[in-house]
Amino acid sequence: MNKNRMYPTWFIFGALLLYVVLYVLPSVMGIGYSFTDWSVYSQDVHFVGLKNFQTVFSADYNYNRMLGNTFLFTIVTTLAKNVIGLALAVLLTKKVKLLNFHRAVMYLPCVLSALIVGMIFKAVLNPKIGLLNTALRAIGLDALAKNWLTDSKIAFNSVMAVDIWKGMGYIMTILIAGIMSISPTYYEAAEIDGGNAWQCFRHITLPLLTPTLTVTTVLNVIYGLKVFDTVYALTNGGPGYATEVLYTGVYKEFGLGRYAVGTTLSSIMTVVMLIVGYFMIKHMVQGGGGEA
Amino acid sequence: MKRILACLLAALLLGTAAVAEGTTITYMASQDWVQDAEMELGEKFEQETGIHVDYQIIPSDQYNNMLMNKLNSGECTDIFGSQAGQFDIVTQLNVEKNAVDLSGEAWAETVDPLAFAETSVDGKLYGQPVQDVSAVWAVAYNKQVFDKLGLSVPTNYEEFKAVCEAIKADGMTPIYEAVSDGWHHQLWFCELGVAIEHAEPGTAEKLNNNEMGFADSATAAQLVDQIKEMVDLGYWGDDYMSNEYANAAKAIASGECAMTVANQGFPTEINAAFPDFPAEDIGFFVMPLCDNQVLNMNPVGPTRFIYSGSANIDAAKQYLAFIAEPENLQYLIDNVPKFNTLPFTTVTDAYSDEISGFYAAYPDHGTVYQTSVKYVNPQWMEIGKELTAVLLGDETTEQMLKNIDRNRADQAAAAQDPAWN
Repeated sequence: MNKNRMYPTWFIFGALLLYVVLYVLPSVMGIGYSFTDWSVYSQDVHFVGLKNFQTVFSADYNYNRMLGNTFLFTIVTTLAKNVIGLALAVLLTKKVKLLNFHRAVMYLPCVLSALIVGMIFKAVLNPKIGLLNTALRAIGLDALAKNWLTDSKIAFNSVMAVDIWKGMGYIMTILIAGIMSISPTYYEAAEIDGGNAWQCFRHITLPLLTPTLTVTTVLNVIYGLKVFDTVYALTNGGPGYATEVLYTGVYKEFGLGRYAVGTTLSSIMTVVMLIVGYFMIKHMVQGGGGEA
Repeated sequence: MKRILACLLAALLLGTAAVAEGTTITYMASQDWVQDAEMELGEKFEQETGIHVDYQIIPSDQYNNMLMNKLNSGECTDIFGSQAGQFDIVTQLNVEKNAVDLSGEAWAETVDPLAFAETSVDGKLYGQPVQDVSAVWAVAYNKQVFDKLGLSVPTNYEEFKAVCEAIKADGMTPIYEAVSDGWHHQLWFCELGVAIEHAEPGTAEKLNNNEMGFADSATAAQLVDQIKEMVDLGYWGDDYMSNEYANAAKAIASGECAMTVANQGFPTEINAAFPDFPAEDIGFFVMPLCDNQVLNMNPVGPTRFIYSGSANIDAAKQYLAFIAEPENLQYLIDNVPKFNTLPFTTVTDAYSDEISGFYAAYPDHGTVYQTSVKYVNPQWMEIGKELTAVLLGDETTEQMLKNIDRNRADQAAAAQDPAWN
């Protein structure tokens, strides 16, 4: 291959055109519509300034709760998936019988559609005939049998738990790849020096896995901020408004024909994701993106 | 060569003429709005007129958005189905612009006056009713249970509570209610707009003129409080939050529950699913919260409209005229199990004695609030969520009613309703 071969700059225009037309333009237009009264009721669209943003941040509506739930979901699921995924990754890089089988079983949930997972868990968590409560009652733990998806104090935890179950295998797989890329010589040297398993993990695995953990954190945060399907399939934001997140709110607004408020919510989340993404990528580039 | 070209040209012209003869009209409707019997009539219509009807059936949860987008983009089908309602057809459908005036059609004067009022604007008829709108949502009860416990049909809230207590004491769940579907439990509130209107006459008009809100109505608050009381007293059982309405027939037939809110197609439905349970064992009474004894009528249902931008308006009018012929309406009544009648003066109803008796027992009629009050029906699912929040103790009755008022105000503002602007 000729390393000096240069392609003309205009080769980029095709891809750039598609990117601008299909991504940049709709995004900018979406943000533009946030400042209008666009709705199903009228074909005329008028500029209304910041009125939609005032509505979204007003205490009279549930949008603040949706935003709060979205951030809570993002933080909890990101932490839990990383911690559990890391534990599984460490465990499944040891010499374990049927290693690939265990890895496949752990990875399996993430290949299922979120809607299918939602339907399955809706049945499993049914308070009356669901598998979980039936099993709890069968072993005499009746007190632990709860209304998992219909009690407003428990429902959001249940939704997060299902999402963690679904996503931890994916994180585990990325972290397994990260762990396997660490040279075994570090562990051999530590063993010669008398280091135990915890010390090896604390002083070798964890520091060298930090760049990979940064990647999984970025992926989880972005996923968490735009979560919709799992919540929609499990509870549709209910009971009441207990499990509403931002994108179930967007869906609801479009369903009610209030397109401008829907695009306002989307625009807010786009800005949040841009800010979060910017700082995370900056951290990756500056922090330890090059190591591993 | 010239001969070949001439033959090709002739063939092309013949082909074009054949397409022109066989006009196709498109008809878009939500799931369950076009019955098999109507499609059979559509085939008969094609045989008689040569006009083919292309039925486009859309899943119900997507339909409204799709219809609105098609109307707003000017790309609607020749005929479109939509829920009627004297307010919604103006604020949402803008029928004066988007639909064809059907007042001059021969069948227009045969439309039942109540249905006519809900499908017309300023006396001009824009739609043709599709379904039986005579059925009302009422409490369907198991007569055997009532007979066994010596219970009679309650006529006020206290009697209703006594009935529920007796059933509960016998080990049954008094009422099968399904909150998880999101659309059913708010029937206790919206359908009983008739009770609000009875206790506070003129409320609907004041709500429509933005002279008061639901939060200003003591009866509306009492309604919500009584719904919550039913739940707190255990009359809806332990599983009302996860119940699905599809299991209502099973819950009644199995004897697990004694009552549910259903319409008059329920006896047929329960008998079809559980043949050992006779349809006659189901009786009805109006929901007696706030001591209601007014029959909650809703003369609104799915309706056919002809799109004003259609290129086939005459063909579409022919189809509507064909459907409205008395023998074809009667064919629909006779072949669609859930139709006891249709809102036309030319048909003969097929009510059972039980259902006729139920209607006759309540001479006072009122129109439900999702029809008579603006901006209630479009937020049906939201009202369900609000009510759920109250039932779970996450929200107060006052908050719920204020939120409904706020959502109505938002929709009114978007619709540039002069009463709100």
